Formats: sequence, C-alpha cells, structure tokens
Amino acid sequence: MVQGLTQQETIGASASRRTPRLRWLGPYLLLLPAFVFIAVFVFWPVIYSVYLSLQDWRLGFGSSRFVGVRNYVRLFSAPDFLNALRVTVGYTLVTSCGSIVLGLALALAIQHVRRLGSAWQALFFLPVASTMAAMAVVFRFMFDTHIGVINAVLTRIGLDRVDWLNGDLTAFAAVVVVGIWSSAGYAMVLFLAGLTTIPENLHEAAALDGASSWQQLRFITLPLLTPTTIFVVVILTLRSLESFDNVKVLTDGGPLGATQVLSHLLYIEGFRYFNTGYASALATVFFVILLVVAIVQMRAERWVHYE
Amino acid sequence: MRRRYPLSKVWAWLFLSVAGLITVFPFLWMLSASVMQPHEIFRPGVNLVSEQPTLANYATALTKAPLLRFLGNGVIVTVAIAVLQLAVIVPAGYAFARLRFRGHRFLFLLVLAALAVPAYVRAIPNFLALSSWGLINTYPALVLPFIGSAFGVFLMRQFFRQLPGELIDAARLDGCNTGQLIWHVLLPLTRPALAAFAVFSVVSHWNDFFWPLVVIRTTRMYTPPAGIAFFASADGGENWGVIMAAGVIVITPLVLFFLLARRQFVASLAQSAVKG
Repeated sequence: MVQGLTQQETIGASASRRTPRLRWLGPYLLLLPAFVFIAVFVFWPVIYSVYLSLQDWRLGFGSSRFVGVRNYVRLFSAPDFLNALRVTVGYTLVTSCGSIVLGLALALAIQHVRRLGSAWQALFFLPVASTMAAMAVVFRFMFDTHIGVINAVLTRIGLDRVDWLNGDLTAFAAVVVVGIWSSAGYAMVLFLAGLTTIPENLHEAAALDGASSWQQLRFITLPLLTPTTIFVVVILTLRSLESFDNVKVLTDGGPLGATQVLSHLLYIEGFRYFNTGYASALATVFFVILLVVAIVQMRAERWVHYE
Repeated sequence: MRRRYPLSKVWAWLFLSVAGLITVFPFLWMLSASVMQPHEIFRPGVNLVSEQPTLANYATALTKAPLLRFLGNGVIVTVAIAVLQLAVIVPAGYAFARLRFRGHRFLFLLVLAALAVPAYVRAIPNFLALSSWGLINTYPALVLPFIGSAFGVFLMRQFFRQLPGELIDAARLDGCNTGQLIWHVLLPLTRPALAAFAVFSVVSHWNDFFWPLVVIRTTRMYTPPAGIAFFASADGGENWGVIMAAGVIVITPLVLFFLLARRQFVASLAQSAVKG
C-alpha cells in the first residue's frame, strides 16, 4: 500500500500532464460528490432536526418560535409517546428474539440436512426481499375476522373466531407475527454465513471424545458462533426498532395505540398533523435510543472478541 | 467419526418443511385468492383452490388502479437511485481504500457516523428541504435523499481494498491516470461487487414504503408499495380478489428479480456481516 503510493507519486508526476501542485486535490475531488450528498441529506438533517426540536412550529401555521426544551418536556409527559415507547420495546424484544431463534434453528436445520441448501435459503429469504407493504395487505386479508383464512382454520378445528386486528393483544400479536415472518430469513442468512466459518474437524474431534450432539451444540457451535450472534442481534434489533410497514398497513397504530410504535407515531405527528417541532423532538429521542442500543450491543461484541 | 446433531435428520426435514410452508403460504394464498370468484372468497370454510379460476380480477385490478404506472415509477426511481449511487460511491470508495490524504481518518469516521443515521431522523428536514425546492411529488424527491449512500461508500472501500495492489501499480506504470485506472482496470474487476450493491439497492428502494408516503401527494406518482397499500385501503375490503390480483402484479417483478439475482443480494448482506 505505502510502496504502491510512493511509486505512484513518482511515476504519476512524470506521466501526468497536470501540474504537480494540484495533485493533492485528487482524493478530495473523488470524495466530493458523495460528501455533498451525505452532507445535505444526512448530516444537515441531524443538526437541523435538533434545532427544529427546540422550536414551536406547526408547518403551514405561521413562523416558528424558540421554546427551549419544552417539546421534550411535553414529549415525556405525553401518554401517547410513553405508550409508543412501551409498545416499541415490547415489539422489538419479541420480534427480534423470535426472528433470531427461528433463524438460528433454520440455519442449523439446513446445515444438518445438507440437501437443497440454496433452495431452502431462497425460500426462507423470500419474505425479506419481498415488498413488505404488499405482503402486509395479504396478511390483513388473512387476519380478517369474517373471511380470513386464519379464522377459517380456527373454526374448522372447533375454536372461536378471533377479532384479530381489533383487539389490543391480538393486533399486537398479528403485527409481531408479520414482523417475525419477514425477518427470520435475514437472521438465517447471517447465521449460515457464520456457521461456515466453524471448522468441521472440531465437531469430529469432539465426537471422537464422546461429546453428545447437544454437548457439541452447546460447547462448540454456539460459542464459536457468538460473534455472528451478536452481529445478528444488533442488526435485527435495529431492524425491529425501525419497523413501520406492517404497522401502517395492518393496524395504522391501532386499536387505541396498541401497536403504535415510535416510527409510526413520528410519521403521524410529523406528516399527518405536521407538528414539526414536536415531531423533531420525537425524532431526536428516537435517534438517541437507536444509538444507545447500537453502542451497548457493539460494546458487548468487543467484550466477547477480547475475552 | 461423524459430527452429530441434536434430533435426527427426519426432524430437521420436518421442521424445514413446516416452516417453509408457513413462509410461502401468504404468497400461495395471494395467488389462489387472485383467481377466485367473489362468492368463493366469501364462502365460509378454508378455501384454498378455486373451482372456477378466473382472470377477471386481474383485468379489474389493471383498470381500477394504475398498476403499470406504479411499476414504471418503481423502475425509474430504483434505477436512478442505483446508477447515481454508484456514480458517487465508486470514486469515494476508491479514495478511501487506495489513496492517502490529510483527514482520511476523520472523513471516514464521518461516513461511519452517517451509516448510523436512520431514515426517520432525516425525514422531516429532508421533506422541508425538498419542499422548499419545489420538488414534492416529483421523482427527484424520491431519488435525491438516497444518492449519498454511506453504506455504499463503506462497501466499495472494502471491495477496493481487496484488490491486489500490483495491478494498480502496473496500470500506473503504463501511464493510466486515476480516471482511466478506475474506468479500465478497477471497474471491470469490481463488477461483481457493483452488481451486488446495485441489487441490494434496487430491492431495498423498490420496497421502501415510508419515504414515498411522505413526499408523494398523487396516486400516479406512487411506487409499488405505497400504490398497493393505497389501492387496498381505498377499496375498503370488499374486493379481496381484485386486491390480491393487484398484489400479484406488483410483487411478481421483484420476486423474479430477487430469484435471478439472489446470489448478489445475499453476497452483499454476507459481505456486510463478515466485515461488520
């Protein structure tokens, strides 16, 4: 790398027709386009968001007014925000844990059967790649109280119909089921990639030493898979925290806020009611939560690596 | 001695089959309901196969909603995003991987920081900026915010770093300037990587539901996810057969694209996983 550079510098100076004085500009010119877009559409918004969160401003209703941290005070005393916080934590925990456990089980089962590996992979990954909003429409049909296939099966086996999307707990369950359906394949792909890094001869050695199958899983596969597992936990937690499509299509946050996750509340406040200042405070808090979660989980990763 | 797994192979097959069935069931259900007559859909009991399949739902769906227009919008927007992203991330990734300059570390940290910013946090300021430029309800509103892909810069840097340095030196010896080097030497070598990123980008932006909801005002400008959701909610749940037909039309191109380009898609995910 360093050698390549010195060589390139000397050769470049003689070969290039440009004046040597301007050569230092080269790398910055290559970076410029990307940085212009990132600055305008990523960095500036973060700064501007914090500024907006200190303003009292409804879009389309006159000018904004500096109010300090009042939006944040309002936020943390607003029942709908506190409710959204609870719903988001519950949704994220259940959805990410469910997806991770299922994804790991699928990856291990695929490795075990040793046949049709890539076909299984394609099958289970299909929900991840398919359009969530469209599939959520299908799920809404399946969860329909009167003509949905899920209630049809329930009545066929002698159970009562469930008014899925109109009950607090059942609507939450429906949104979680769709969330897990759409993420388990993601976890599976990452786990499969991790499993291939574990040398097969470790298992053979353990088997020779008389380790049972469960002992092999417990003392070889899972420990060696830990770096992958932590990465999967980080990715799936963030993915679940940011879920929006299934909530918007299935329940629109209802009934009575039972599925109102933070991302959806932000959408409602920011783009349905245009409470720009208040929604910006919400966005800032949301960002801090995501950052804290990511940092805590990355710390765990470092701890495992250095152990 | 062979490696042993908990539970026998039979159980693994059984588990995969049941899980596989649940996974594909919504797709099969959508397909099956899309060819059903209304009275079959409303008949009590579990109806999986239509006795008199009909394509009438498809005809109705195509006349009642501008589905082809949604698909066209989807193609325009995702292709524009992928092409413009590659145009900015390739040079930036190359600079980070291969060149030395003042502020290298700091600028790369900025890229990593940008990776951490979720779409929801950018939404309000991006919306305000686009509306002050008069771009609400236009294609640029759907494209511009995603061109500077920090993830793309990161991925390209990883790819360029893996290329052997001797090749670059040889090209330099032959008198290539940086532009020629990227165009004639590095791009052909990184084509698989570019394809992987492009596939990843197309799939994720084709599926994006949130941003079109924010910046699009008229039905005709919707991309497929917002289009189908709007169509389903406008209908009020009376014509499920038609809605399912619309769903099939909207979802099929992407599913085919995914099945064809699956390797690249999974590769870009696995790449991000391995290099973390």
